[in-house]
Amino acid sequence: MSYNTLKREHLAHSIRIIKELVISDFKLRYQGSYLGYFWTLIKPLLLFGVIYTVFTFFMPVAVENYAIYLLLGVLIWNFFSESTLIGMNTFLSKRDLVTKIYFSRAALVYASTISSLITLLLNLVIFFFFLAIAGVAPGWEALFFILYLAEMYLIATGITFVLASLTIHFRDLQHIWEILLQIGFWLTPIIYPITVVPFEYHSLIFLNPWARIIEYSRDIFIRHHIPSLYLNIILFIGTVIIFALGYAIFKTQENKIAEKL
Amino acid sequence: MNDPIHIQNLSKTFKLPHERRDTLKENLLKIAKKRTYEEFHALKDVSLNIQKGDFVGVVGRNGSGKTTLLKLIAGIYQPSEGTVKVDGKIAPFLELGIGFQPELTARENIVVNATLLGLTRAQIKEKFDEIVSFAEIENFLDLKIKNFSAGMKARLAFAIAKEADADIYLCDEVLAVGDEGFQKKCMTVFEKWKEEGKTILLVTHNSDQIRDLCTKAFFLQQGQLVAAGAPAEIVERYHQSLAL
Repeated sequence: MSYNTLKREHLAHSIRIIKELVISDFKLRYQGSYLGYFWTLIKPLLLFGVIYTVFTFFMPVAVENYAIYLLLGVLIWNFFSESTLIGMNTFLSKRDLVTKIYFSRAALVYASTISSLITLLLNLVIFFFFLAIAGVAPGWEALFFILYLAEMYLIATGITFVLASLTIHFRDLQHIWEILLQIGFWLTPIIYPITVVPFEYHSLIFLNPWARIIEYSRDIFIRHHIPSLYLNIILFIGTVIIFALGYAIFKTQENKIAEKL
Repeated sequence: MNDPIHIQNLSKTFKLPHERRDTLKENLLKIAKKRTYEEFHALKDVSLNIQKGDFVGVVGRNGSGKTTLLKLIAGIYQPSEGTVKVDGKIAPFLELGIGFQPELTARENIVVNATLLGLTRAQIKEKFDEIVSFAEIENFLDLKIKNFSAGMKARLAFAIAKEADADIYLCDEVLAVGDEGFQKKCMTVFEKWKEEGKTILLVTHNSDQIRDLCTKAFFLQQGQLVAAGAPAEIVERYHQSLAL
């Protein structure tokens, strides 16, 4: 076999592994709970319902179409927090496989974040339902969302690579990450519009790629306007850097995973 | 053609910390305190060659480095020093149960593990019945693996690995828990592999098996390869070392 056929064979094998891991991951995540998969769909909606009630009736924020504005932000943030929190434990939860068979360890990370991405896609069906109710018809600009989905996936996966590699050394990292996610939730314009933040802090807020992705997604769905090419390039470069850096850090730890478990 | 397994000056050292510190909290609280380690030499300067078609038995007491050697060959561990060169496709089944996911059913585990060993969906479908009947688990297909007995798990692990169509098979104590009927079936498979010219590494405490099956044997003692040669001789030496 030539080097290229070997490589292609290897890639095909890795893809098959990821596929089967995603399927089994799904079964593992949602079996046993009464509502099963339904529960994952409901969770962000409950959060949305509570925030919506508070910020519409008790402390109204002045945002047009606040329901879909908020829902989109909550769903995207929920994807980030769920994919990293579950993904960072992937080596620990699959230790039986990792310590006994050699296969690409990265496959475990990809499989875990793909499972979370599927949850997001199903959640988005509900979002489109809300869009229809609100009478907001997305235009062709909405196609940009495919690009943002890809960027969301890469950023979440890059960060999961780092977290999963660190978790094998520091088992309590998950609690710390949960706190950081809480802080991140409030520092990202999810429930409030960016306009309430003093202008001099905007550049700080937008250091966070999720602030950009959420805002740009609202642009294309709700405001029918595409962010400038310049902004899109910044987001794209940021995505590539985060993913590459995350993967590079994982690579330095890859060989230690089986021994550390 | 290259030898399927070529090992040169292989050493594996594990650093065992005197106190466990695997949380961030512990690390921060004791940041000023230097960590001290005990070095555990699981393998020391092992060199060996395994030729195509060899059926190699590995003997040694508990903790002599047998499993570590297999894990290094399988690529699960990385050498501390030296090299491991492997030419061919490996099917490892180490420590009973090639790594099942306890919360999944037998059916689901078959698909995942066969995929990890390199089979495609179509191949798995084709070989599924054979795997199930070889493992004798027809009535337990939808039972979670955590409810399987050790013997059932070992049978299933062996049944899957046997379909992997590998060049090199690594077997760690696979026969230890099966009943006699199953052991006989395994022997038939081993004979078939031998005929097909596969390379096999078998770790076992059963000296009879080494004598009957193997064409070559290695004796490990405290991480060192102390003897290599004809199975009968090696088993003899191993027994002598135990008698001391």
